[in-house]
Amino acid sequence: MIEVLPESAGSGTHGGALLEVDDLHVEFRTRAGVAKAVNGVTYSVSAGETLAVLGESGSGKSVTAQTIMGILDMPPGKITGGEIRFRGTDLLKLPEDERRKVRGEGISMIFQDALSALNPVFPVGWQIAEMFRIHRGASRADAKKKAIELMDRVRIPAAKERVSDYPHQFSGGMRQRIMIAMAIALDPEVLIADEPTTALDVTVQAQIMELLAELQRDSNMGLILITHDLGVVADVADKIAVMYGGRIVENAPVHDLYRNPAHPYTKGLLESIPRVDLKGQELYAIKGMPPNLLDMPSGCAFHPRCPYRQETCTTDVPPLHTISGTRGSACHFWREVLDGDAQ
Amino acid sequence: MGRYAIRRLLQLIPVLLGTTFLINYMVWQLPGDPFAARCGQRACPDSYISAMRAQFGLDQPMLVQYWHFLKNLLSGDLGVNFNQVSVASQLADAWPITIRLGLMAVAIEAIIGIAAGVLSGLKRGGFIDNVITISTLFMLSLPIFVTGFILQWLLGVQLQWINPTVSDAATVGELLIPAFVLASLNLAFTARLTRTSIVENRRSDYVRTAISKGMTNRRVVGVHLLRNSLIPALTFLGTEIGSLMSGAIVTEGIFNIHGIGGLLFTAINNHDFTIVVPVASLLVLVYLLANLLVDLLYGVLDPRIRYE
Repeated sequence: MIEVLPESAGSGTHGGALLEVDDLHVEFRTRAGVAKAVNGVTYSVSAGETLAVLGESGSGKSVTAQTIMGILDMPPGKITGGEIRFRGTDLLKLPEDERRKVRGEGISMIFQDALSALNPVFPVGWQIAEMFRIHRGASRADAKKKAIELMDRVRIPAAKERVSDYPHQFSGGMRQRIMIAMAIALDPEVLIADEPTTALDVTVQAQIMELLAELQRDSNMGLILITHDLGVVADVADKIAVMYGGRIVENAPVHDLYRNPAHPYTKGLLESIPRVDLKGQELYAIKGMPPNLLDMPSGCAFHPRCPYRQETCTTDVPPLHTISGTRGSACHFWREVLDGDAQ
Repeated sequence: MGRYAIRRLLQLIPVLLGTTFLINYMVWQLPGDPFAARCGQRACPDSYISAMRAQFGLDQPMLVQYWHFLKNLLSGDLGVNFNQVSVASQLADAWPITIRLGLMAVAIEAIIGIAAGVLSGLKRGGFIDNVITISTLFMLSLPIFVTGFILQWLLGVQLQWINPTVSDAATVGELLIPAFVLASLNLAFTARLTRTSIVENRRSDYVRTAISKGMTNRRVVGVHLLRNSLIPALTFLGTEIGSLMSGAIVTEGIFNIHGIGGLLFTAINNHDFTIVVPVASLLVLVYLLANLLVDLLYGVLDPRIRYE
């Protein structure tokens, strides 16, 4: 069902990107005003590559993912610009019927809370089997057999006995495995995982991340991992895009970013991770509050919280400066930020 | 679930005993002698009254009377009414008509109510939604007897599309408008319940999941959304079968339908308690069984409900 491609080495440096988000703009029109949730986000993911999108609540990371899937609530949401290219085709220009075929087959998605994301009144096996029945026209019996295979594959114990159980009869980790089984059923090329481990306890988190990494190795799919948890990212990601106030403020290969962040926000995030060697000292926290999307600060959205703030930050929006081939930072003073932390 | 159903059925026994005792007790306590006025212009002779009292056991203590009622009920012998006509045969004539009327009303409630609710929930704020919201509000604010008389007058007398009254045969065609009248209140409630539940579930996570699985819009709405949204509406329809029965009394009165409602209506007017007691007891039984059915159905519709 899922073939292991021989050229899959797990590295992120394949030819063309599978999925490219290009200068995406999304806003929400609410009674209180226009909330600019996504302001010119650009990122891409290739086969076998893992992109981690990092950011706090309201940074636009989930909205971007929902726009890729086409599950954004419109209205109040509205896409005001940009392209989302999958294998070179702009998804935003596709008619709904063709767009639908991309979902599940080409790109699929798993969500944070598997209990509410699974339909409470249908057995889990039925919900997985539905993928084969609707997309592939498989018979009920065949689809059920494949559902059991998939449940085995995501390591649900006694899959055959549990195929007719309902979501509420599973534990949180098992439910997330069912979500994953459903998402990888048709062997998609890109998997978007929106905070897949946030609702789980720490040991289960690690198991789920391991499972995702293993499935990715086997099928060579591109993985977009949306999270606010820096710890989750470090082991699995190839590259990271850090979002703040609906923009990407830094993107970098994972090791470069951890070793030497080029944006004050990233730096603040890294410093606020608890560390064993600093035990007993007060934990660092970024001062201030995340920006209000209805009333964004002028200039750089991060300037009210930024220790590197200068006059120009309050007036000019910093572009995403290219630092090197694969690195970028949307900070006027990225050189100072880099220097300050260079070994 | 089997054991749960048996337990619930056993629980029906004390409830039935209690309610039938109360019904028996209360009807015989009503003021007025049921036999005193049965002799036209003249007062009834004492000999007639005491003979009737003896025949129907009114001279015996309450508990003995109730015991006789239970014994007769269990042996299937409902006796005769005050006019010496078999009660069982009157019930046998009337029940099928009321059941037909009731089933038609439930079907109308379910089909039109749910369809209207789904439509208005999906097109929330649109033209159809407004039309449905206003017309259900209209239905909700009119009591059944007003709706009944208006439709009878409009369709039966003015436009002459239907017969204003229903014949003894009470065919499905003839019962259509009475059934609609009987259904009108619950129909409006069902539509509103379904609408709310569709609006609520439409933005739910599992609907979003179904879309991201690449399901067609028809399947997302018709399978994933609908199955969850129907639960409150179906529970409501089930519990309201009992109130449908009391609505049937009014509706059958308006359209001169010779069903249980009509029978009960005349019997109450004539103080003929030999009819009132068994009919009222039967209505209680229908109500109890409908409630049990709903509880069991709820478990089938929503797997999160478990019985043990």
